[in-house]
Amino acid sequence: MTGSRAFAAAAERTRAGGVPALEVSGLTVSYQEKPVLRYVSVAVPVGHLVAVVGPNGAGKSTLLKAILGLVRADSGAIRVLGQPVDAARREIAYVPQTDSADWDFPVTVREVVLMGRYRALGWLGRPRRHDHALVDDALRTVDMSDFADRHIRQLSGGQQQRVFLARALAQEARVLLLDEPLAGVDARTEQAIFELMDAFAAAGKTLVVVNHNLQILERFSAVLLLNQSVVAFGPAREVVTEANLRRLYGGRMSFVDEAERVLREGPSDVR
Amino acid sequence: MCVDVVLLAQAAADLITWQERLLSPWIDHRLQLACSILIGAVLGLLGCFVVLRRMALIGDAISHAVLPGVVIAFLLLSTGVAGLFAGALVAGIVTAVAINVVTRWSRVQEDSAIGIVFTAMFAVGIILISRLPAGAHFDLKCFLFGDPLAVQRSDLISVLVIAPLAVALVVLLFHPLKLMCFDATLARTMGFNVTVLHYLLMTLLAGTIVAALRSVGVIMAVAMLITPAACAYQLTNRLWCMLLVAALVGALSAGAGMFLAFQLNDPPGPIMVLVATAFFACAILFAPQRGVLTTWRRRRQIRAHIADEDVLKALARLEERGARAADLPAALAPTPHGRITAALRRLAQDGLLTGGLPQPELTERGRQRALEMLRAHRLWETYLAEQSVAREHWHDEAERLEHAHQVAEELAETLGQPQTDPDGHPIPSQLPES
Repeated sequence: MTGSRAFAAAAERTRAGGVPALEVSGLTVSYQEKPVLRYVSVAVPVGHLVAVVGPNGAGKSTLLKAILGLVRADSGAIRVLGQPVDAARREIAYVPQTDSADWDFPVTVREVVLMGRYRALGWLGRPRRHDHALVDDALRTVDMSDFADRHIRQLSGGQQQRVFLARALAQEARVLLLDEPLAGVDARTEQAIFELMDAFAAAGKTLVVVNHNLQILERFSAVLLLNQSVVAFGPAREVVTEANLRRLYGGRMSFVDEAERVLREGPSDVR
Repeated sequence: MCVDVVLLAQAAADLITWQERLLSPWIDHRLQLACSILIGAVLGLLGCFVVLRRMALIGDAISHAVLPGVVIAFLLLSTGVAGLFAGALVAGIVTAVAINVVTRWSRVQEDSAIGIVFTAMFAVGIILISRLPAGAHFDLKCFLFGDPLAVQRSDLISVLVIAPLAVALVVLLFHPLKLMCFDATLARTMGFNVTVLHYLLMTLLAGTIVAALRSVGVIMAVAMLITPAACAYQLTNRLWCMLLVAALVGALSAGAGMFLAFQLNDPPGPIMVLVATAFFACAILFAPQRGVLTTWRRRRQIRAHIADEDVLKALARLEERGARAADLPAALAPTPHGRITAALRRLAQDGLLTGGLPQPELTERGRQRALEMLRAHRLWETYLAEQSVAREHWHDEAERLEHAHQVAEELAETLGQPQTDPDGHPIPSQLPES
């Protein structure tokens, strides 16, 4: 069951009283008084693989950061599995872009995956047998067991991505936020990553994936078109229309931008 | 006989003075030595986090910026070590916070913010020194460069307090520290308070630098913070191992530096730093995986491997055409003669051919290897064609890539074991390992 039927069914379950995996309502976030996200409201039902699409500077990464509690929202509320972010931290796993990591850091593949357990261990906890077993399982799932004791510098781009997915898996979170996991990987790796993400979704996890490639939106069960605010959200085949894409890559809310610039700096003819 | 005894006695006496000269620093200055060695170890340990988080500049900043705190404490509390500590700690923390505030509230990046804050703090310290009341003497030179011989029991006590604290922090918070250094954002998403951890580390750093002031001085303290850690970073791929090695190199540099300084009659601080630098230079040159020497040797091996295979292939081609093996140098031109004979010698050693110039002859195994290379070459051409690389590049690229045999076999797997290359030439099948 994929695409619009699955989405409709899940949305129906949500309406019928099921708690959405992710509920963002009226979210506005600014950097240095410049709004990056405006009035964003979205409810993602459990078990979906959602693509977040939009031009550069559309606020895709900011949306992830807001959900993770890394940036402060001006207004709006975020609930993860019905709870505020701080209470739901153990349910959220973040998969950063691979090129943001320091691949020269002195750790092995296994140690990076073990970091997924740190949240559960807390400040002073030591990894136990249970944690190591979870790490082994995660490595097996992403087919990286043979690389467990290698240093992370020896990995290819696709392998780096799989290690990060294994870490998210070891975290045992139900909501995964992935920042461009498909950037710069070859077709075979892309296929492998999709298979993993599908398996996660089938196991009841919810995945929100920042994505640049418009060609592969059909592979997601839902698509969020975002450009500062929500352009459209729903099953790919309903949402990815030419009209929507024109709105997505066309103008932003330029009048609101202009008005806010005036409110910030004063009208240009005054200066 | 009598002369012999006198000579013997003389020799014994020489030996004793020599021994005394070697040992006396360890005995007379055991306090100072112990203090320096401990400081070296702790600075090396904490330095790992500074190096991994690319905060070398912050270490520099904090060490300089403790000056006003030390001077004020000196003014108010005269000489008490505890007061000095408190003053320096407060100054260190003020610096760390000020750097954060400047970075956050201006468009200036962190490196510039560090430059602004620590020079300002240092300037305040120097002005305070010039305004000290008559009679009070603050030794700026000692602050900057240290004076290990002036180390007193109170200094050792402060080191004995700070060292276990540092070790305890690193051992207890090993995992959160590792996570923060590897990916601070990820640590934050997991609910770790990275800011608290950062200031905890900075406070400990400021404390250690104050404890190190008399032994090595601020400028040398920065070197002892960065150099042993950088040395360890070069040598290992595991964090715990890096921490151990850095502490060891720090301790060794301090101990050996102090000892050498006594022998050479030089100031100890700079000698310690130079010993640490020598360790670092050795690590760069001789590190097992990343060392200059290893890299150089590996490259040489690969070059030899390629040269050998090229000679082998040329021989096989000559044989195929029924040409004389003596034409080998002409076939391989412009490869220098010396390189060809060296390759022939290595190939003969490996049992791939017999005899040398002018009549080398391939053995059965040699022929097999040449066939494997032809296979690799044609597999690469097939792959490049499939990747829609322009035709005129196939051959040269394949010439280069064919030397990586393992990859060629993976290639064959992916391509579905093709039988012919894009020009229709047969691809020799993989031969059983003999």
